[in-house]
Amino acid sequence: MATDPAPARRDATARRPWRVARPRRPADFALLSLLGGGLAGYAWVAAAAAPFSRGALVAVLVPGALLGAIAVARPPERIPPPDHLDATGMSYWMICLAAFFEWEASAWRDSSWPWHPSFTNLIDPLLAPHLVKTLAILVWVLAGWALVRR
Amino acid sequence: MPPIPTRAITIAGFVVAVAAMIVLEVLAGRPGSRIPTVGQWLGYLMRPKIGRVLVLAGWWWLGWHYFAR
Repeated sequence: MATDPAPARRDATARRPWRVARPRRPADFALLSLLGGGLAGYAWVAAAAAPFSRGALVAVLVPGALLGAIAVARPPERIPPPDHLDATGMSYWMICLAAFFEWEASAWRDSSWPWHPSFTNLIDPLLAPHLVKTLAILVWVLAGWALVRR
Repeated sequence: MPPIPTRAITIAGFVVAVAAMIVLEVLAGRPGSRIPTVGQWLGYLMRPKIGRVLVLAGWWWLGWHYFAR
């Protein structure tokens, strides 16, 4: 198992990618503000769509298609990924993820009855308020952008 | 003592798993940490093109599952 050397400057940036994205000029800041406002407005409108409706599906398809097109056609400057992952460190994540998905799978196997709800059954009531759903959609879109940059 | 309802146990299980992941992310941010951040291991998975496609598809599926359904 390779031990990590002292973290290089590049590694520190990779751990905190928002350092890379800070706007440097007023015009960049204005553009970023405009984009942020547009995203927030889009999330607000998307959150108003009824579940299982065509509008809700379109609201999810549009960011997906847009980010997919950006990733393929005009990818942004990507944050360099690590050359290798520490096996011990990664094993902690695997344990947590396995536990989470096993818990979810057992709830799904039990048909998500009230006495054994799935994660979705627990999250759905929390996402019911419009503002909360708007923020969640905004976070989802920003997470997609963060993935495109990776 | 009345028995603990299984619903509470199920919720506690999810809370523990999510809290553990939050703790891991905080620990991963320390200088010299051997634990990779979420961004780092997702970035590692996205090194090959197929990994990139699968991770982005998973991201989109999450959005569809929670916001379109």
